[in-house]
Amino acid sequence: MNEQLGCFETGIPIEIYGLSEKSVTITFGTAIDNDLLGLITDFNQLLLQNPFSGLISTVPAYTTLTVFFDPLSVMLSDLPGEVCFEKVSAHLNKIAQIKREKSKVIADNVVIPVCYDDDFGWDLSIVARTNKLTETEVIDIHTAGEYVVFMIGFVPGFAYMGGMDTRLSTPRKEVPNAKIPAGSVGIAGNQTGIYPMETPGGWQVIGRTPLKMFNVTRSQPSLLKGGDLVTFKAIGIDEFNACAEL
Amino acid sequence: MSMKISIIKPGLLSTVQDLGRYRYLSQAVPVSGAMDELAHRLANKAVGNDDNDATIEFTYADASFKAETDILVAYSGDGAFLFYNDQVMPAEKPLFFPAGSVIKLIHNAIGVRTYLAIAGGWDVPDVMESKSTYLTADFGGFKGRILQKADVLIGGTTISEASQEILKELIHRSLTYPNWRISRESLLPEKRQNIRVVLGNEIGWFDAASIISFLTNSYTVDRRSNRMGYHLSGKPLVRKVKKELLSTAVTPGIIQVTGSGDLIILMADCQTTGGYPRIAHVAAVDLPLCAQLKPGNTIHFSEISSDEAEELFLEREQDLSLITTAISLKYIKT
Repeated sequence: MNEQLGCFETGIPIEIYGLSEKSVTITFGTAIDNDLLGLITDFNQLLLQNPFSGLISTVPAYTTLTVFFDPLSVMLSDLPGEVCFEKVSAHLNKIAQIKREKSKVIADNVVIPVCYDDDFGWDLSIVARTNKLTETEVIDIHTAGEYVVFMIGFVPGFAYMGGMDTRLSTPRKEVPNAKIPAGSVGIAGNQTGIYPMETPGGWQVIGRTPLKMFNVTRSQPSLLKGGDLVTFKAIGIDEFNACAEL
Repeated sequence: MSMKISIIKPGLLSTVQDLGRYRYLSQAVPVSGAMDELAHRLANKAVGNDDNDATIEFTYADASFKAETDILVAYSGDGAFLFYNDQVMPAEKPLFFPAGSVIKLIHNAIGVRTYLAIAGGWDVPDVMESKSTYLTADFGGFKGRILQKADVLIGGTTISEASQEILKELIHRSLTYPNWRISRESLLPEKRQNIRVVLGNEIGWFDAASIISFLTNSYTVDRRSNRMGYHLSGKPLVRKVKKELLSTAVTPGIIQVTGSGDLIILMADCQTTGGYPRIAHVAAVDLPLCAQLKPGNTIHFSEISSDEAEELFLEREQDLSLITTAISLKYIKT
Protein backbone atom coordinates (compact mmCIF):
# COMPACT_ATOMS: atom_id res chain seq x y z
CA MET A 1 0.00 0.00 0.00
CA ASN A 2 1.12 3.56 -0.63
CA GLU A 3 1.64 4.67 2.96
CA GLN A 4 0.96 8.33 2.33
CA LEU A 5 -2.32 7.85 0.54
CA GLY A 6 -3.61 5.43 3.17
CA CYS A 7 -6.71 3.32 2.78
CA PHE A 8 -8.86 4.59 -0.12
CA GLU A 9 -6.65 7.70 -0.26
CA THR A 10 -8.10 8.87 3.07
CA GLY A 11 -4.65 9.15 4.62
CA ILE A 12 -5.72 6.53 7.17
CA PRO A 13 -3.18 3.69 7.11
CA ILE A 14 -4.27 0.13 7.69
CA GLU A 15 -2.39 -2.35 9.82
CA ILE A 16 -2.82 -6.11 9.60
CA TYR A 17 -2.09 -8.68 12.28
CA GLY A 18 -2.56 -12.45 12.35
CA LEU A 19 -5.37 -13.58 14.67
CA SER A 20 -5.12 -17.35 14.13
CA GLU A 21 -4.02 -19.77 11.41
CA LYS A 22 -7.34 -19.04 9.71
CA SER A 23 -7.80 -15.31 10.24
CA VAL A 24 -6.18 -11.89 10.10
CA THR A 25 -7.44 -8.59 11.49
CA ILE A 26 -7.15 -5.22 9.79
CA THR A 27 -6.95 -2.25 12.15
CA PHE A 28 -8.27 1.03 10.72
CA GLY A 29 -8.03 3.25 13.79
CA THR A 30 -8.15 3.40 17.54
CA ALA A 31 -11.42 5.12 18.50
CA ILE A 32 -15.14 4.67 17.84
CA ASP A 33 -15.98 7.05 15.05
CA ASN A 34 -18.68 7.35 12.36
CA ASP A 35 -16.21 8.04 9.54
CA LEU A 36 -14.19 4.99 10.52
CA LEU A 37 -17.39 2.92 10.51
CA GLY A 38 -18.01 4.11 6.93
CA LEU A 39 -14.49 3.20 5.92
CA ILE A 40 -14.74 -0.30 7.43
CA THR A 41 -18.19 -0.85 5.89
CA ASP A 42 -16.94 0.16 2.44
CA PHE A 43 -13.76 -1.90 2.75
CA ASN A 44 -15.82 -4.90 3.79
CA GLN A 45 -18.13 -4.52 0.80
CA LEU A 46 -15.24 -4.12 -1.63
CA LEU A 47 -13.52 -7.20 -0.21
CA LEU A 48 -16.68 -9.29 -0.43
CA GLN A 49 -17.16 -8.13 -4.04
CA ASN A 50 -13.50 -8.86 -4.83
CA PRO A 51 -12.70 -11.94 -2.75
CA PHE A 52 -9.42 -13.83 -2.78
CA SER A 53 -9.37 -17.58 -3.21
CA GLY A 54 -10.17 -19.13 0.18
CA LEU A 55 -12.03 -16.17 1.72
CA ILE A 56 -14.73 -17.51 4.06
CA SER A 57 -16.23 -14.54 5.87
CA THR A 58 -15.54 -11.20 7.54
CA VAL A 59 -16.37 -9.67 10.91
CA PRO A 60 -16.54 -5.87 11.13
CA ALA A 61 -16.07 -4.34 14.57
CA TYR A 62 -15.55 -0.80 15.96
CA THR A 63 -12.09 -0.19 14.52
CA THR A 64 -11.28 -3.50 12.84
CA LEU A 65 -12.30 -5.88 10.11
CA THR A 66 -11.38 -9.53 10.64
CA VAL A 67 -11.04 -11.80 7.64
CA PHE A 68 -11.51 -15.58 7.94
CA PHE A 69 -10.08 -17.89 5.29
CA ASP A 70 -9.23 -21.47 4.43
CA PRO A 71 -5.43 -21.73 4.67
CA LEU A 72 -5.27 -24.61 2.17
CA SER A 73 -6.98 -22.58 -0.58
CA VAL A 74 -4.90 -19.51 0.23
CA MET A 75 -1.66 -21.50 -0.06
CA LEU A 76 -2.75 -22.85 -3.45
CA SER A 77 -3.57 -19.35 -4.72
CA ASP A 78 -1.08 -17.35 -6.78
CA LEU A 79 -1.08 -14.40 -4.36
CA PRO A 80 2.48 -13.25 -3.61
CA GLY A 81 4.00 -14.44 -0.32
CA GLU A 82 5.36 -17.50 1.45
CA VAL A 83 2.75 -17.89 4.17
CA CYS A 84 -0.99 -17.23 4.43
CA PHE A 85 -0.48 -13.99 6.33
CA GLU A 86 1.62 -12.52 3.51
CA LYS A 87 -0.69 -13.75 0.79
CA VAL A 88 -3.87 -12.47 2.43
CA SER A 89 -2.18 -9.18 3.38
CA ALA A 90 -1.13 -8.67 -0.23
CA HIS A 91 -4.74 -8.96 -1.33
CA LEU A 92 -6.04 -6.69 1.44
CA ASN A 93 -3.47 -4.02 0.61
CA LYS A 94 -4.65 -4.19 -3.00
CA ILE A 95 -8.25 -3.66 -1.87
CA ALA A 96 -7.12 -0.56 0.05
CA GLN A 97 -5.95 0.93 -3.24
CA ILE A 98 -9.16 0.37 -5.19
CA LYS A 99 -11.04 3.53 -5.89
CA ARG A 100 -13.63 3.70 -3.15
CA GLU A 101 -17.21 3.24 -4.21
CA LYS A 102 -20.31 4.01 -2.27
CA SER A 103 -21.40 0.76 -0.60
CA LYS A 104 -23.56 -1.42 -2.81
CA VAL A 105 -25.39 -2.61 0.27
CA ILE A 106 -27.11 0.55 1.38
CA ALA A 107 -27.53 0.86 5.11
CA ASP A 108 -31.14 0.36 6.14
CA ASN A 109 -33.19 2.75 8.23
CA VAL A 110 -34.95 0.65 10.84
CA VAL A 111 -37.66 1.81 13.22
CA ILE A 112 -37.86 -0.28 16.38
CA PRO A 113 -41.01 -0.11 18.52
CA VAL A 114 -40.24 -0.17 22.24
CA CYS A 115 -42.54 -0.46 25.22
CA TYR A 116 -40.92 1.51 28.06
CA ASP A 117 -43.40 0.36 30.76
CA ASP A 118 -41.88 -0.37 34.19
CA ASP A 119 -42.53 -4.10 33.79
CA PHE A 120 -40.09 -4.14 30.88
CA GLY A 121 -37.81 -1.19 31.57
CA TRP A 122 -36.88 -2.03 35.12
CA ASP A 123 -33.74 0.12 35.11
CA LEU A 124 -35.44 3.22 33.67
CA SER A 125 -35.39 4.79 37.14
CA ILE A 126 -31.62 4.18 37.44
CA VAL A 127 -30.95 5.89 34.11
CA ALA A 128 -33.23 8.77 35.14
CA ARG A 129 -31.64 9.14 38.57
CA THR A 130 -28.07 8.90 37.23
CA ASN A 131 -28.74 11.71 34.78
CA LYS A 132 -31.11 13.79 36.96
CA LEU A 133 -33.99 13.35 34.53
CA THR A 134 -37.56 12.14 34.87
CA GLU A 135 -38.41 8.75 33.35
CA THR A 136 -40.54 10.48 30.73
CA GLU A 137 -37.58 12.67 29.76
CA VAL A 138 -35.42 9.56 29.39
CA ILE A 139 -37.98 8.03 27.02
CA ASP A 140 -38.33 11.30 25.06
CA ILE A 141 -34.57 11.63 24.63
CA HIS A 142 -34.14 7.95 23.72
CA THR A 143 -36.85 8.09 21.04
CA ALA A 144 -35.66 11.44 19.65
CA GLY A 145 -32.23 10.17 18.66
CA GLU A 146 -30.92 8.44 15.57
CA TYR A 147 -28.51 5.59 16.25
CA VAL A 148 -25.91 3.93 14.10
CA VAL A 149 -25.14 0.23 14.33
CA PHE A 150 -21.39 -0.11 14.89
CA MET A 151 -21.24 -3.86 15.03
CA ILE A 152 -23.07 -7.07 15.83
CA GLY A 153 -21.47 -9.02 18.65
CA PHE A 154 -21.92 -10.71 22.04
CA VAL A 155 -24.75 -13.06 20.96
CA PRO A 156 -26.40 -13.60 17.54
CA GLY A 157 -28.05 -10.38 16.40
CA PHE A 158 -26.94 -8.14 19.29
CA ALA A 159 -26.37 -4.68 17.78
CA TYR A 160 -24.02 -2.22 19.48
CA MET A 161 -25.43 1.21 18.62
CA GLY A 162 -23.73 4.55 19.05
CA GLY A 163 -24.92 8.09 18.65
CA MET A 164 -26.88 8.19 21.89
CA ASP A 165 -27.53 11.56 23.53
CA THR A 166 -24.90 11.83 26.28
CA ARG A 167 -27.62 13.00 28.67
CA LEU A 168 -28.60 9.29 28.94
CA SER A 169 -25.10 7.89 29.56
CA THR A 170 -25.20 5.35 32.37
CA PRO A 171 -22.50 2.89 33.37
CA ARG A 172 -23.26 -0.79 33.04
CA LYS A 173 -24.25 -2.71 36.15
CA GLU A 174 -21.45 -3.82 38.46
CA VAL A 175 -23.16 -7.15 38.92
CA PRO A 176 -24.79 -8.38 35.70
CA ASN A 177 -28.36 -9.70 35.71
CA ALA A 178 -28.51 -13.48 35.40
CA LYS A 179 -31.40 -13.29 32.95
CA ILE A 180 -32.32 -10.47 30.63
CA PRO A 181 -35.40 -11.25 28.52
CA ALA A 182 -35.27 -11.30 24.72
CA GLY A 183 -36.11 -7.91 23.19
CA SER A 184 -34.81 -5.90 26.16
CA VAL A 185 -33.42 -2.50 25.18
CA GLY A 186 -30.44 -1.47 27.24
CA ILE A 187 -27.94 1.31 27.86
CA ALA A 188 -24.27 0.87 28.71
CA GLY A 189 -22.04 3.92 28.85
CA ASN A 190 -22.88 5.91 25.76
CA GLN A 191 -24.26 3.01 23.75
CA THR A 192 -27.65 1.43 23.40
CA GLY A 193 -28.43 -2.12 22.36
CA ILE A 194 -31.12 -4.79 22.21
CA TYR A 195 -30.86 -8.31 23.64
CA PRO A 196 -32.01 -10.69 20.87
CA MET A 197 -32.42 -13.65 23.22
CA GLU A 198 -32.54 -14.34 26.93
CA THR A 199 -29.00 -14.12 28.26
CA PRO A 200 -27.16 -12.79 31.29
CA GLY A 201 -26.21 -9.15 30.81
CA GLY A 202 -24.99 -6.00 32.48
CA TRP A 203 -26.75 -3.28 30.52
CA GLN A 204 -29.37 -0.99 32.12
CA VAL A 205 -32.69 -2.20 30.73
CA ILE A 206 -35.08 0.63 29.81
CA GLY A 207 -37.71 -1.12 27.70
CA ARG A 208 -38.54 -4.01 25.44
CA THR A 209 -39.29 -4.43 21.74
CA PRO A 210 -41.76 -7.02 20.46
CA LEU A 211 -39.62 -7.50 17.32
CA LYS A 212 -37.55 -10.62 16.89
CA MET A 213 -34.01 -9.25 16.60
CA PHE A 214 -32.66 -12.60 15.45
CA ASN A 215 -34.56 -15.26 13.56
CA VAL A 216 -32.82 -18.16 11.83
CA THR A 217 -35.62 -18.50 9.28
CA ARG A 218 -34.89 -15.09 7.74
CA SER A 219 -32.35 -14.81 4.90
CA GLN A 220 -30.54 -12.25 7.05
CA PRO A 221 -31.20 -13.73 10.51
CA SER A 222 -30.04 -10.61 12.35
CA LEU A 223 -32.55 -7.77 11.95
CA LEU A 224 -29.74 -5.21 12.10
CA LYS A 225 -26.32 -5.09 10.48
CA GLY A 226 -23.28 -2.85 10.79
CA GLY A 227 -23.94 0.62 9.33
CA ASP A 228 -27.75 0.55 9.73
CA LEU A 229 -29.51 3.62 11.14
CA VAL A 230 -32.01 2.99 13.92
CA THR A 231 -34.74 5.02 15.59
CA PHE A 232 -36.92 3.93 18.49
CA LYS A 233 -40.69 4.50 18.68
CA ALA A 234 -42.47 4.34 22.04
CA ILE A 235 -45.46 1.97 22.11
CA GLY A 236 -47.94 1.01 24.82
CA ILE A 237 -48.40 -2.42 26.31
CA ASP A 238 -51.43 -3.15 24.08
CA GLU A 239 -49.50 -2.51 20.92
CA PHE A 240 -46.60 -4.55 22.31
CA ASN A 241 -48.90 -7.51 22.92
CA ALA A 242 -50.48 -7.10 19.48
CA CYS A 243 -47.08 -7.49 17.79
CA ALA A 244 -46.90 -11.09 18.91
CA GLU A 245 -43.56 -11.83 17.28
CA LEU A 246 -41.88 -13.04 20.45
CA MET B 1 -32.97 -47.25 3.68
CA SER B 2 -31.57 -44.98 6.36
CA MET B 3 -29.65 -46.25 9.33
CA LYS B 4 -31.29 -45.34 12.62
CA ILE B 5 -30.55 -45.32 16.34
CA SER B 6 -32.59 -44.44 19.40
CA ILE B 7 -31.13 -42.87 22.51
CA ILE B 8 -31.55 -44.98 25.62
CA LYS B 9 -29.50 -42.75 27.92
CA PRO B 10 -28.37 -39.39 26.58
CA GLY B 11 -25.42 -38.72 28.90
CA LEU B 12 -24.41 -35.39 30.36
CA LEU B 13 -24.34 -33.20 27.24
CA SER B 14 -24.78 -34.79 23.84
CA THR B 15 -25.21 -32.64 20.75
CA VAL B 16 -24.96 -32.98 16.98
CA GLN B 17 -21.97 -31.07 15.56
CA ASP B 18 -20.07 -30.64 12.31
CA LEU B 19 -17.04 -28.48 11.54
CA GLY B 20 -18.89 -25.31 12.44
CA ARG B 21 -20.70 -22.31 11.08
CA TYR B 22 -18.27 -19.74 9.68
CA ARG B 23 -20.44 -17.70 7.32
CA TYR B 24 -22.60 -15.84 9.85
CA LEU B 25 -19.89 -14.58 12.19
CA SER B 26 -20.66 -10.98 11.20
CA GLN B 27 -24.14 -11.47 12.70
CA ALA B 28 -22.47 -12.73 15.89
CA VAL B 29 -23.40 -16.34 15.22
CA PRO B 30 -20.60 -18.38 16.87
CA VAL B 31 -18.60 -21.00 15.02
CA SER B 32 -19.82 -23.86 17.27
CA GLY B 33 -19.04 -27.29 15.82
CA ALA B 34 -17.06 -30.18 17.26
CA MET B 35 -14.80 -29.09 20.13
CA ASP B 36 -12.26 -31.76 19.15
CA GLU B 37 -12.22 -31.37 15.37
CA LEU B 38 -9.55 -34.02 15.00
CA ALA B 39 -11.56 -36.75 16.75
CA HIS B 40 -14.70 -35.64 14.87
CA ARG B 41 -12.90 -35.91 11.54
CA LEU B 42 -11.28 -39.27 12.31
CA ALA B 43 -14.63 -40.78 13.31
CA ASN B 44 -16.05 -39.56 10.00
CA LYS B 45 -13.11 -40.83 7.98
CA ALA B 46 -13.34 -44.26 9.59
CA VAL B 47 -16.86 -44.77 8.18
CA GLY B 48 -16.04 -43.28 4.78
CA ASN B 49 -17.74 -39.91 5.40
CA ASP B 50 -16.74 -36.37 4.53
CA ASP B 51 -14.96 -34.62 7.40
CA ASN B 52 -17.78 -32.08 7.69
CA ASP B 53 -20.56 -34.67 8.11
CA ALA B 54 -22.38 -34.32 11.41
CA THR B 55 -21.35 -36.49 14.37
CA ILE B 56 -22.74 -36.77 17.88
CA GLU B 57 -20.49 -35.13 20.47
CA PHE B 58 -20.83 -36.99 23.79
CA THR B 59 -19.53 -35.42 26.99
CA TYR B 60 -18.04 -38.05 29.30
CA ALA B 61 -19.68 -41.51 29.35
CA ASP B 62 -22.83 -42.83 30.99
CA ALA B 63 -24.78 -42.86 27.73
CA SER B 64 -26.24 -45.63 25.61
CA PHE B 65 -28.16 -46.11 22.40
CA LYS B 66 -29.85 -48.87 20.43
CA ALA B 67 -29.34 -49.69 16.77
CA GLU B 68 -32.88 -49.60 15.31
CA THR B 69 -31.51 -50.84 11.96
CA ASP B 70 -28.18 -52.33 10.95
CA ILE B 71 -25.69 -49.50 11.43
CA LEU B 72 -22.17 -48.64 10.34
CA VAL B 73 -20.59 -46.25 12.87
CA ALA B 74 -17.18 -45.21 14.18
CA TYR B 75 -16.05 -43.27 17.21
CA SER B 76 -13.06 -41.27 18.31
CA GLY B 77 -12.16 -39.12 21.30
CA ASP B 78 -11.22 -39.49 24.93
CA GLY B 79 -14.42 -39.19 26.94
CA ALA B 80 -15.66 -42.74 26.60
CA PHE B 81 -15.17 -46.18 25.08
CA LEU B 82 -17.89 -47.86 23.09
CA PHE B 83 -18.94 -51.08 24.76
CA TYR B 84 -20.89 -53.85 23.01
CA ASN B 85 -21.49 -57.50 23.92
CA ASP B 86 -19.25 -57.18 26.98
CA GLN B 87 -16.36 -55.91 24.91
CA VAL B 88 -14.70 -52.56 24.41
CA MET B 89 -14.92 -51.64 20.75
CA PRO B 90 -11.81 -50.22 19.09
CA ALA B 91 -11.85 -46.51 18.23
CA GLU B 92 -11.13 -45.03 14.78
CA LYS B 93 -12.41 -48.16 13.04
CA PRO B 94 -15.69 -48.73 11.22
CA LEU B 95 -18.01 -50.78 13.45
CA PHE B 96 -20.97 -52.77 12.19
CA PHE B 97 -23.82 -53.44 14.60
CA PRO B 98 -26.94 -55.37 13.59
CA ALA B 99 -30.43 -54.03 14.32
CA GLY B 100 -31.31 -54.46 17.98
CA SER B 101 -27.77 -54.03 19.29
CA VAL B 102 -27.39 -51.97 22.45
CA ILE B 103 -24.18 -49.94 22.62
CA LYS B 104 -22.97 -48.25 25.78
CA LEU B 105 -20.45 -45.50 26.38
CA ILE B 106 -18.24 -46.40 29.30
CA HIS B 107 -15.76 -44.30 31.22
CA ASN B 108 -12.46 -43.24 29.65
CA ALA B 109 -10.29 -41.47 32.21
CA ILE B 110 -8.22 -39.57 29.66
CA GLY B 111 -10.58 -36.89 28.44
CA VAL B 112 -14.04 -35.46 28.00
CA ARG B 113 -15.46 -35.68 24.48
CA THR B 114 -16.22 -38.57 22.17
CA TYR B 115 -17.58 -38.37 18.63
CA LEU B 116 -19.90 -40.89 17.05
CA ALA B 117 -20.12 -40.88 13.26
CA ILE B 118 -22.60 -42.87 11.18
CA ALA B 119 -22.26 -43.71 7.50
CA GLY B 120 -23.89 -40.84 5.59
CA GLY B 121 -23.61 -38.45 8.57
CA TRP B 122 -26.39 -37.70 11.06
CA ASP B 123 -29.30 -36.28 9.14
CA VAL B 124 -30.42 -33.06 10.77
CA PRO B 125 -31.49 -29.90 8.94
CA ASP B 126 -28.91 -27.31 7.89
CA VAL B 127 -29.33 -24.09 9.83
CA MET B 128 -27.30 -21.25 8.36
CA GLU B 129 -25.30 -23.75 6.31
CA SER B 130 -24.28 -25.97 9.23
CA LYS B 131 -25.63 -28.88 11.25
CA SER B 132 -23.90 -27.74 14.45
CA THR B 133 -25.93 -27.21 17.60
CA TYR B 134 -25.75 -23.83 19.33
CA LEU B 135 -27.56 -24.25 22.64
CA THR B 136 -27.53 -20.62 23.80
CA ALA B 137 -29.85 -19.69 20.93
CA ASP B 138 -31.55 -23.11 20.60
CA PHE B 139 -30.75 -23.66 16.94
CA GLY B 140 -28.96 -26.22 14.79
CA GLY B 141 -28.27 -29.89 15.36
CA PHE B 142 -31.12 -32.06 16.62
CA LYS B 143 -34.00 -29.60 17.16
CA GLY B 144 -31.60 -27.03 18.58
CA ARG B 145 -31.15 -28.95 21.81
CA ILE B 146 -29.20 -31.63 23.65
CA LEU B 147 -30.17 -35.22 22.95
CA GLN B 148 -32.78 -36.75 25.22
CA LYS B 149 -33.97 -40.23 26.07
CA ALA B 150 -35.99 -41.81 23.20
CA ASP B 151 -34.73 -39.41 20.54
CA VAL B 152 -34.43 -41.17 17.20
CA LEU B 153 -31.55 -40.10 14.99
CA ILE B 154 -31.14 -41.17 11.40
CA GLY B 155 -28.15 -41.34 9.11
CA GLY B 156 -28.11 -39.51 5.79
CA THR B 157 -29.55 -41.44 2.84
CA THR B 158 -26.55 -40.70 0.63
CA ILE B 159 -23.76 -43.04 1.64
CA SER B 160 -20.34 -42.74 0.06
CA GLU B 161 -18.91 -45.48 -2.12
CA ALA B 162 -16.26 -46.17 0.54
CA SER B 163 -18.97 -46.56 3.22
CA GLN B 164 -20.90 -48.98 1.00
CA GLU B 165 -17.80 -51.08 0.39
CA ILE B 166 -16.84 -51.14 4.08
CA LEU B 167 -20.38 -52.21 4.94
CA LYS B 168 -20.34 -54.96 2.28
CA GLU B 169 -17.00 -56.30 3.52
CA LEU B 170 -18.09 -56.45 7.16
CA ILE B 171 -21.46 -58.08 6.40
CA HIS B 172 -19.95 -60.54 3.93
CA ARG B 173 -17.29 -61.66 6.39
CA SER B 174 -19.57 -61.47 9.47
CA LEU B 175 -17.23 -59.02 11.16
CA THR B 176 -17.91 -56.24 13.63
CA TYR B 177 -14.83 -54.38 12.43
CA PRO B 178 -12.00 -54.75 9.91
CA ASN B 179 -8.36 -55.33 10.83
CA TRP B 180 -7.21 -51.81 9.93
CA ARG B 181 -7.60 -48.69 12.01
CA ILE B 182 -6.64 -45.04 11.79
CA SER B 183 -3.83 -44.17 14.19
CA ARG B 184 -4.99 -41.12 16.11
CA GLU B 185 -1.97 -41.36 18.44
CA SER B 186 0.41 -40.69 15.57
CA LEU B 187 -1.35 -37.36 14.95
CA LEU B 188 -1.19 -36.23 18.58
CA PRO B 189 1.92 -35.04 20.39
CA GLU B 190 3.23 -37.25 23.19
CA LYS B 191 3.10 -34.58 25.86
CA ARG B 192 -0.54 -33.68 25.84
CA GLN B 193 -0.33 -31.22 28.72
CA ASN B 194 2.03 -29.03 26.69
CA ILE B 195 -0.05 -26.59 24.64
CA ARG B 196 1.76 -24.69 21.91
CA VAL B 197 0.73 -21.07 21.50
CA VAL B 198 1.42 -18.12 19.20
CA LEU B 199 1.74 -14.81 21.03
CA GLY B 200 -1.17 -12.44 20.47
CA ASN B 201 -1.63 -8.88 19.31
CA GLU B 202 -1.88 -7.43 22.83
CA ILE B 203 1.20 -9.25 24.17
CA GLY B 204 2.85 -5.87 24.72
CA TRP B 205 0.13 -4.90 27.18
CA PHE B 206 1.62 -7.24 29.79
CA ASP B 207 4.75 -6.76 31.83
CA ALA B 208 7.79 -8.89 31.07
CA ALA B 209 7.48 -10.91 34.28
CA SER B 210 3.90 -11.83 33.35
CA ILE B 211 4.87 -12.96 29.88
CA ILE B 212 7.62 -15.15 31.32
CA SER B 213 5.19 -16.44 33.91
CA PHE B 214 2.65 -17.27 31.18
CA LEU B 215 5.24 -19.34 29.30
CA THR B 216 6.78 -21.10 32.32
CA ASN B 217 4.12 -21.60 34.99
CA SER B 218 1.43 -24.22 34.82
CA TYR B 219 -2.28 -23.48 34.79
CA THR B 220 -5.19 -25.55 36.01
CA VAL B 221 -8.49 -25.84 34.21
CA ASP B 222 -11.15 -24.74 36.67
CA ARG B 223 -14.83 -25.63 37.01
CA ARG B 224 -16.04 -22.70 34.96
CA SER B 225 -15.24 -24.52 31.75
CA ASN B 226 -17.61 -25.43 28.98
CA ARG B 227 -18.09 -25.30 25.20
CA MET B 228 -17.71 -21.49 25.28
CA GLY B 229 -14.35 -21.44 27.00
CA TYR B 230 -12.10 -22.63 29.79
CA HIS B 231 -11.21 -20.53 32.80
CA LEU B 232 -7.71 -21.31 34.00
CA SER B 233 -6.41 -20.82 37.49
CA GLY B 234 -2.79 -19.93 38.07
CA LYS B 235 -0.67 -16.90 38.69
CA PRO B 236 -2.65 -13.83 37.51
CA LEU B 237 -0.98 -11.76 34.81
CA VAL B 238 -0.20 -8.11 35.35
CA ARG B 239 -0.92 -5.51 32.73
CA LYS B 240 1.35 -2.57 32.15
CA VAL B 241 -1.00 -0.94 29.62
CA LYS B 242 -4.30 -0.07 31.24
CA LYS B 243 -6.25 1.05 28.17
CA GLU B 244 -9.50 -0.61 27.12
CA LEU B 245 -9.59 -2.85 24.09
CA LEU B 246 -12.51 -1.94 21.87
CA SER B 247 -14.45 -5.11 21.10
CA THR B 248 -13.04 -6.88 18.09
CA ALA B 249 -13.36 -10.32 16.51
CA VAL B 250 -12.14 -13.34 18.44
CA THR B 251 -12.10 -16.99 17.46
CA PRO B 252 -11.78 -20.39 19.17
CA GLY B 253 -8.28 -20.94 20.55
CA ILE B 254 -7.65 -17.34 21.56
CA ILE B 255 -6.45 -16.87 25.13
CA GLN B 256 -7.96 -13.78 26.72
CA VAL B 257 -6.84 -12.14 29.93
CA THR B 258 -9.67 -10.85 32.13
CA GLY B 259 -9.61 -7.69 34.22
CA SER B 260 -8.37 -9.66 37.23
CA GLY B 261 -5.49 -11.14 35.20
CA ASP B 262 -7.00 -14.60 34.75
CA LEU B 263 -6.75 -16.59 31.54
CA ILE B 264 -9.66 -17.85 29.44
CA ILE B 265 -9.15 -20.12 26.43
CA LEU B 266 -12.00 -19.48 24.01
CA MET B 267 -13.59 -22.63 22.65
CA ALA B 268 -16.10 -23.61 19.94
CA ASP B 269 -19.17 -21.72 21.21
CA CYS B 270 -17.26 -18.54 22.10
CA GLN B 271 -18.63 -15.12 21.28
CA THR B 272 -17.60 -13.71 17.91
CA THR B 273 -16.22 -10.53 19.48
CA GLY B 274 -14.51 -9.72 22.74
CA GLY B 275 -12.93 -6.84 24.59
CA TYR B 276 -10.26 -8.55 26.68
CA PRO B 277 -6.61 -8.33 25.56
CA ARG B 278 -5.39 -11.46 23.78
CA ILE B 279 -2.06 -12.69 25.09
CA ALA B 280 -1.84 -15.64 22.67
CA HIS B 281 -3.76 -18.18 20.66
CA VAL B 282 -3.51 -21.94 20.87
CA ALA B 283 -1.93 -23.44 17.76
CA ALA B 284 -4.74 -24.92 15.66
CA VAL B 285 -3.11 -28.37 15.81
CA ASP B 286 -3.20 -28.33 19.62
CA LEU B 287 -6.78 -27.11 20.02
CA PRO B 288 -8.09 -30.73 19.95
CA LEU B 289 -5.93 -31.36 23.05
CA CYS B 290 -7.69 -28.49 24.81
CA ALA B 291 -11.07 -29.95 23.85
CA GLN B 292 -10.28 -33.00 25.98
CA LEU B 293 -9.24 -31.06 29.11
CA LYS B 294 -11.35 -31.40 32.22
CA PRO B 295 -11.51 -29.38 35.42
CA GLY B 296 -8.43 -30.10 37.52
CA ASN B 297 -6.15 -30.85 34.55
CA THR B 298 -2.89 -28.93 34.51
CA ILE B 299 -1.34 -27.53 31.34
CA HIS B 300 1.53 -25.30 30.38
CA PHE B 301 2.12 -23.17 27.34
CA SER B 302 5.12 -23.10 25.03
CA GLU B 303 5.66 -20.47 22.38
CA ILE B 304 5.96 -21.15 18.66
CA SER B 305 5.99 -18.65 15.81
CA SER B 306 2.95 -18.06 13.62
CA ASP B 307 4.88 -19.52 10.68
CA GLU B 308 5.55 -22.72 12.65
CA ALA B 309 1.89 -22.91 13.67
CA GLU B 310 0.87 -22.60 10.03
CA GLU B 311 3.37 -25.23 8.94
CA LEU B 312 2.15 -27.64 11.62
CA PHE B 313 -1.41 -26.97 10.49
CA LEU B 314 -0.60 -27.64 6.84
CA GLU B 315 1.31 -30.83 7.72
CA ARG B 316 -1.62 -32.04 9.81
CA GLU B 317 -4.00 -31.38 6.91
CA GLN B 318 -1.67 -33.30 4.60
CA ASP B 319 -1.65 -36.27 7.00
CA LEU B 320 -5.42 -36.17 7.27
CA SER B 321 -5.92 -36.13 3.53
CA LEU B 322 -3.57 -39.11 3.18
CA ILE B 323 -5.83 -41.07 5.55
CA THR B 324 -8.82 -40.44 3.29
CA THR B 325 -6.77 -41.41 0.25
CA ALA B 326 -5.64 -44.64 1.90
CA ILE B 327 -9.21 -45.64 2.78
CA SER B 328 -10.39 -44.83 -0.76
CA LEU B 329 -7.56 -46.86 -2.30
CA LYS B 330 -8.42 -49.82 -0.12
CA TYR B 331 -12.12 -49.87 -0.94
CA ILE B 332 -12.72 -48.16 -4.26
CA LYS B 333 -11.68 -49.85 -7.46
CA THR B 334 -10.32 -47.34 -9.89
